[in-house]
Amino acid sequence: MAATRDYVVFLLNGERHEVPRSVPPTRTLLEYLREDLGLKGTKEGCNEGDCGACTVVVMEPEQRSTLAVNACILLVPMLDGKSVTTVDGLFGPSGELHPCQQAMLECHGSQCGFCTPGFVMSLFAMYQDVMEYHDGKPPTKKWINTVLAGNLCRCTGYGSIVAAAERMFALPRPEWDVSRQAVNEFRAIGLRSKASLAVKNANGQFYAPLALVELIELRRIQPDSIILGGATDVCLWANKQLRPLPILISTARVGELQQFSHGVGRMRIGAAVTYEAAWSTLEMVWPNLGELIRRLGSEQVRNSGTIGGNIANGSPIGDMPPALMALGSTLVLNGPEGQRRMPLEEFFLAYGKQDRKPGEFVEAVEVPSHETGDRRLRCYKISKRFDQDISAVLGCFYLHIDNGVVTSARIAFGGMAGIPNRAKAVEAALEGKPWTMATVEAALPKFEEDFQPLSDARASKEYRMLTAKNLLVRYFHEMTSDVQTRLVGDGERIIAEVMA
Amino acid sequence: MAQDAKFEAKGRKFDVVGSRPIRPDGIDKVTGRARFGADMTMPGQLYGKVLRSPHPHAMIKSIDVSAAEALPGVKAVITSKDLPDLSGGDQGMKDNLINTLARDRVLYDGHAVAAVAAISNSIALKALKLIKVTYEALPHVTDVDEAMKDGAPLVNGGAITSGMEPAPTKKSNIIARHQFGHGDIAKGFAEADIVVERSFTTEATHQGYIEPHACVASINADGFGDIWVSTQGHYNVRTTCSALLGLDSAKLRVTASEIGGGFGGKTVTNIEPLALALSRKSNRPVKMVMSREEVFRGTGPTASSSIWTKIGAKKDGRITAAHSIIKFQGGPFGGSLVDMGAMAAFACYDLPNVKTEGYDVLCNRPRLAAYRAPSAPMVTFATESVVQEICDRLGLDSASMRIMNAAKEGTKSSYGPTYGPIGIRATLEAAKNHPHYSAPIAPGKHRGRGMACGFWFNFGGNTSVSMGLNGDGTVALSYGNPDIGGTRASLSMMAAEELGIPYEKVRCVIADTATLGHNDITDGSRVTFAAGLATIEAARDAIKKMCARAAKTWGIAEDAVVWEKGHAKPAGSNAGKFEPLSLKQIVAASGNTGGPIAGHYEVFADGAGVSFGTHIADVEVDVETGKVTVLRYTVFQDAGKAIHPAYVEGQYQGGAAQGIGWALNEEYIYGKDGRLQNAGFLDYRIPVCSDLPMIEAVILEIPNPGHPYGVRGVGETPIVPPLGAMANAIAAATGVRMGSIPMSPPRLLKAIEEKA
Repeated sequence: MAATRDYVVFLLNGERHEVPRSVPPTRTLLEYLREDLGLKGTKEGCNEGDCGACTVVVMEPEQRSTLAVNACILLVPMLDGKSVTTVDGLFGPSGELHPCQQAMLECHGSQCGFCTPGFVMSLFAMYQDVMEYHDGKPPTKKWINTVLAGNLCRCTGYGSIVAAAERMFALPRPEWDVSRQAVNEFRAIGLRSKASLAVKNANGQFYAPLALVELIELRRIQPDSIILGGATDVCLWANKQLRPLPILISTARVGELQQFSHGVGRMRIGAAVTYEAAWSTLEMVWPNLGELIRRLGSEQVRNSGTIGGNIANGSPIGDMPPALMALGSTLVLNGPEGQRRMPLEEFFLAYGKQDRKPGEFVEAVEVPSHETGDRRLRCYKISKRFDQDISAVLGCFYLHIDNGVVTSARIAFGGMAGIPNRAKAVEAALEGKPWTMATVEAALPKFEEDFQPLSDARASKEYRMLTAKNLLVRYFHEMTSDVQTRLVGDGERIIAEVMA
Repeated sequence: MAQDAKFEAKGRKFDVVGSRPIRPDGIDKVTGRARFGADMTMPGQLYGKVLRSPHPHAMIKSIDVSAAEALPGVKAVITSKDLPDLSGGDQGMKDNLINTLARDRVLYDGHAVAAVAAISNSIALKALKLIKVTYEALPHVTDVDEAMKDGAPLVNGGAITSGMEPAPTKKSNIIARHQFGHGDIAKGFAEADIVVERSFTTEATHQGYIEPHACVASINADGFGDIWVSTQGHYNVRTTCSALLGLDSAKLRVTASEIGGGFGGKTVTNIEPLALALSRKSNRPVKMVMSREEVFRGTGPTASSSIWTKIGAKKDGRITAAHSIIKFQGGPFGGSLVDMGAMAAFACYDLPNVKTEGYDVLCNRPRLAAYRAPSAPMVTFATESVVQEICDRLGLDSASMRIMNAAKEGTKSSYGPTYGPIGIRATLEAAKNHPHYSAPIAPGKHRGRGMACGFWFNFGGNTSVSMGLNGDGTVALSYGNPDIGGTRASLSMMAAEELGIPYEKVRCVIADTATLGHNDITDGSRVTFAAGLATIEAARDAIKKMCARAAKTWGIAEDAVVWEKGHAKPAGSNAGKFEPLSLKQIVAASGNTGGPIAGHYEVFADGAGVSFGTHIADVEVDVETGKVTVLRYTVFQDAGKAIHPAYVEGQYQGGAAQGIGWALNEEYIYGKDGRLQNAGFLDYRIPVCSDLPMIEAVILEIPNPGHPYGVRGVGETPIVPPLGAMANAIAAATGVRMGSIPMSPPRLLKAIEEKA
């Protein structure tokens, strides 16, 4: 077993920063920056990952990208071994502005200025991404929209900010580069992110084990501990619900849980794999799943959040579980009593209740996959706002048609019940039948056997039922004609447009 | 409209005004150095937190704070007992007091009940949980139509309706009635070839500023105090806080922080009196920052509304009569500004017979605050929907029909005054002649185009400006209004223009309340107009003084000196032959000519010019999910004179964006339990980047006679037309005319299904 470190150390704006041992492990990065360190440039607008005013940029030396993340939903120990750049540290050796800042000035992209540091950091992350990994080719409007969907501005109507996002690439690239300096600094001080971490103080405990066996052992000793993936949800338990979280175990460093493999017939997604890390591959195999991920959360949330966490927290909506259920995925659990496998839908027992034994945790999800560019999977996310919104209804359809006959139908929904679930009656009404509008129409009433949705602030039960039915009709139209709708997206990851 | 004819810039060629320099506060904002409400720390400060009511309406039987006070780290706990009633018959101040901290009863979900100051945020939050409040629930009402019914629970005891003849004898939730209009609507409707009447509702929205309310307050035993606060009006904070706490205004110095958006929501006090009261009790500075949930539950929102509108017209489209009955949900105290709604409803049109009635109705919802052109978006949604329906039924061109009916100079407005030169017709003609109007809508299913007009009064008011001249040729300009829309830039530009010096030579600061005379709140689109006017006059005051110094230097008469391009010059050859003296030279030598030079101006600016705009929207509707996509959007608005055109465009775009959000998605959702269901950005969805097209902004300039350069306020009008424009576009796309806002996917899909 590798050495275990009992304190948190990371690079903050290019300098080694050791976190005092008294800092509670549940302290968010935002609180820590603003209240403990007095770095006030990073703003708090919502403290729940919705507004992006607290966006900072995180890098890991071994990772290829600069990631914009929300500081309000990151716990300080999660930054261990990483490099954090905040707006307070974004300037050149003589105080020069970065092109993203200069462009915001020139395009009048800042009005009241409160959201501006967050936008600046999102733009900075995009700038680095484009310059380092996409040959400096300016992004499309759609990519800009995708990157900025996690930042709210109430003053500008966004036009001037989009103009700044375009303008910054026309400005000379600075010779100074805070993120590259950070990487060099990493090497210079020999900071190893791959140490096992065990931080304990009077306020709580935080573990980041390196190996699966370590994780199992920790869970055996502490079955009531909270597992942390990207913490995009768990931080709200601390921030909003003020729930005590005495023992936290992060999956982020567990080698086995970080694995993401795509072999013959099967894709395996480790529980600690982030949306960001899985996105390109998932989109390559199921183009429409890529569009679902593009609309899921925001850039900042996708950079932190994990697919395993999305399954494990048992949200009634998903968004990933319905898609993975439609694909026939198997969930792999592990724990003190050993490994278990089950069809994903069997994991969700009732609202807030999953089939999980004491100490058990999600290890991976395995997805059958046979071909790339499989457009039979369609994921229709229905929300009030198109991007960065929680789904009112999420319908995922995966039908196989042979010689005009439905040979297999897997349909799963989120938002239609207390748990994400399959529409088995609808599936049964389709399977073995000719793939015609008459079959579809005959299957529609079956939705009422499968689901009794609820009304809430996001949608009424009537709306949910009606859209669920309409989505099957839409699926039929899309699969049998050239008609494609915006819900499907263009089937290509935005970033691919730039890479091409 | 009776206005001082101050406009004098006809044909003037400006050097600075009309250009697009970078804002003086720009670098601070892009580097994170700008200091907002929560960014200030006072030595030894405590952290204040508020306990809020979970009930929409309840009696407070008892409050036990002993356990909270006993928690280590807690330094003060306050309830209404710590804020005795000093309102002395001032009902507005009394309402303010009750809203600040509930007294015998809570009036809405989120009403403040007690507050704690502790050595850390987490201890303060723990202490809140230790406060035991015993409530006795009362029946509640949150819907305006329900609240007007006989037998509805009386909110806050109800009221005898004001503005009724004869006055009612029984209390109800209708706190006030307002009426405006002229002519004979019965006669007008009788003359009409077509009469359309429709009912409408709009939900409450929040201003949605990204910066939560925040302040740091400190008060000493002798009553001297300081507040650092994010507010639209720090003088108002001083007035309200000193009245509520019984302080001398002069002893309380209020400094406005950088403000992270307000849109009307930061025109009132919320936590500021609590922070002072906690500071007084703990004898320490107290910082208070609201959570986003508190912002939604405890501050801001607009009225929700229920509106009935009837318009009659001749076959050619000429409107013969218009009538509207407007009911606004006015929160627990009233003050819904329904009177402004009743005034604004038909202000775009030249109507022979018009009547509007407004009802201000008490409900168990948060106290209302202004939101950008408060009241006008809702009433305009109703008016423009009916106007468009008449256009459609008569087969008339949308723009031409509106131009035919548009108000013009000399029109007696629907709310009384006679208009001076105004821009409604100009914006309509600009829209009609614009490529957006003539181009066919991009091909696609269920697409449509809509148009709507809008109006806002604009305000002026109390304004005080001071300008210190420096020996290096620079100028320090102080004004008393938090900069919410780029006024540091626009005032610097006007000062530079008038003084004849470069923009970069002016440093503009927002003075605290101890530094300048009283200034009204940053509201009513007033600052570029009123503080701009005062800046120009202060510059002229300084110029007069500089000319006098030059005259003294040259030994000639003062009236023989003129000011040109930043220099004092002899008025002509008769005055003598002297080398011109620059501002820098005059000020550098001022110690020898009579001492420092400064310009001042104090005014009640009453010549604000009304403002009109016209919007065009293209939308696509997904008829299977009810989702609306905005394809193209153009704003046409009269700015009078655009001082900084980029910021004028920014106001047009930002206002339209808020209006589009309101039209499509934003709403306060109350459960049957009277509690707010969506108190967070997770479920109160304001538009993100991808929800909006690049909003095109077209500036028209019809000078306002009340301002030397012709400036009109521009900030508010852009939020007025979008609700109507979007409804008209959706009707064109689907054939479904939506009577309720927001036109969210569930509502729109329901309407589409009902029609089919």
